[in-house]
Amino acid sequence: MNEPLLPDAFAELAPFADWALEPERARIEKKAASSMEEIRAFYDAMMLRMDEVLAYLDDDFGGDLPTAAHRLYLMSLSLVEVATLVELYKRRESIHACDPLRFVPQR
Amino acid sequence: MRLETWSSKYPELGTHPLPTEPYISEEHFVLERERVFRRSWLQVGRVEEIPHAGDYFVRDIAICDASVLVIRGSDGVVRGFHNVCSHRSNRLVGDERGSCRGTLFCRFHNWSYSDRGELVGVPEEENFFGLDKRDHGLTTVDTGIWEGFVFVHLAPDPAETLRDYLGGVADRLDGCPFHEMKLSQTYRVEERANWKVVLDAQNEAYHLPYQHPLTLGVAFAKNDTGNCRFKEVILYDYHSFWSCDYRSFQKLTPLKIALFFGDDDAGAFRFPNMVGDLDHYLLFPNGILSLFKVGRWMGCITYTLWPSAVDRTVWEIRMHFSAPATRRERLQQEYFKCVIRDTLQEDTATHESVHAGIASRVRSHLILQDNELPIRHFHKVLDDYAGTLDAHDRPDGRNTETGR
Repeated sequence: MNEPLLPDAFAELAPFADWALEPERARIEKKAASSMEEIRAFYDAMMLRMDEVLAYLDDDFGGDLPTAAHRLYLMSLSLVEVATLVELYKRRESIHACDPLRFVPQR
Repeated sequence: MRLETWSSKYPELGTHPLPTEPYISEEHFVLERERVFRRSWLQVGRVEEIPHAGDYFVRDIAICDASVLVIRGSDGVVRGFHNVCSHRSNRLVGDERGSCRGTLFCRFHNWSYSDRGELVGVPEEENFFGLDKRDHGLTTVDTGIWEGFVFVHLAPDPAETLRDYLGGVADRLDGCPFHEMKLSQTYRVEERANWKVVLDAQNEAYHLPYQHPLTLGVAFAKNDTGNCRFKEVILYDYHSFWSCDYRSFQKLTPLKIALFFGDDDAGAFRFPNMVGDLDHYLLFPNGILSLFKVGRWMGCITYTLWPSAVDRTVWEIRMHFSAPATRRERLQQEYFKCVIRDTLQEDTATHESVHAGIASRVRSHLILQDNELPIRHFHKVLDDYAGTLDAHDRPDGRNTETGR
């Protein structure tokens, strides 16, 4: 039997499961490799359900998150990763900053 | 109307322009190495990074060609040593952090040291000439701990204890619950800029609305002119403190509303003794400690600047957060981290363009306003320590005016 990609209640987010990435560096690279349209589509889909996602993730899973829920959690981290771009900069052209890959996470 | 609030509080610092030469002068860089970095307490990490006996980290201090090994001994004591084998000076430890089971081995000839730095093993010991192992432990580096922060001092006999050096800053921050926070993220950024260019940029709030208009700007544009002004400035012998307020560390956006229930100020945690929403400490020469009001959890950011050449600096950014009570709080911390990180990427671009501008030698001086006073203070302390270029050849390296 196939295990569901995401928890049943969030099945419609499955097309965006490729944003379930760790560590942070992988999320940054995915953001850099995605078009603004792809990023907005991911952001919009997640934001429609974000209140429920947050409530769901704070359920008591009795320890570590099950795989499908963990995937949803990593997608939430990716949502946070792209939020500055979507909500604050709005366009890549309005960024006046160094190459983000120069900020090297340690460990 | 011009308000000379801070300059009037510290009139001895004057209002004159500062020379740009020290940012690009190789000669000045040598003075900084010999008289500042070799003679100051330098913050190198947290005790939580090495919780168990045998845990260690290595800190390269490139400007001094030094590599310092900080290790917790089997007696629980945290000690610092030069990361150099006593035999033929090989770098003892090659990795940046790790853990040993009581003994460190040199890969060259397998000399071994206890986790307290004693030389305990020498292959073919009988072939040496009167070698007494007790005389050849690792070379110690003076190491001090304040509120969990580990400091080292490269001079053989530091003139001042760590506590005396920290002075009024420690008085203000003693008992601050740093130990309840975990080092959550470290970034290292190699910049093509003099370390003081980076430090100056991180030592004022004037630029916030202008350099970060989309990220932090709106939140920090506090007064009726749309600028950010200090709420408090306190200058110490070496260090400085300033504080400012913000509406919220960043404007409300749909995701922020979802994560923080719309209002991150409600029940926000404030550290004891906090003056404003952002309290900023410069620890001379190369450290910054920032306390933020951000949510119900605790967060602070430390920077250390590690120069490797007059125009090369590693900016180390460390974010410390208390343990999140929920996954929502963990995501709040990630959100804070990402906004700050993206903002600091704007800073890096500017550090490098400022350095390039200074290096073009078009302007011999830079001009500072009243709310840039902490920069003026830092450079005064640096001058007192390093001496001017004219005093370069004094053999004892001391500045005659200050006695330091």
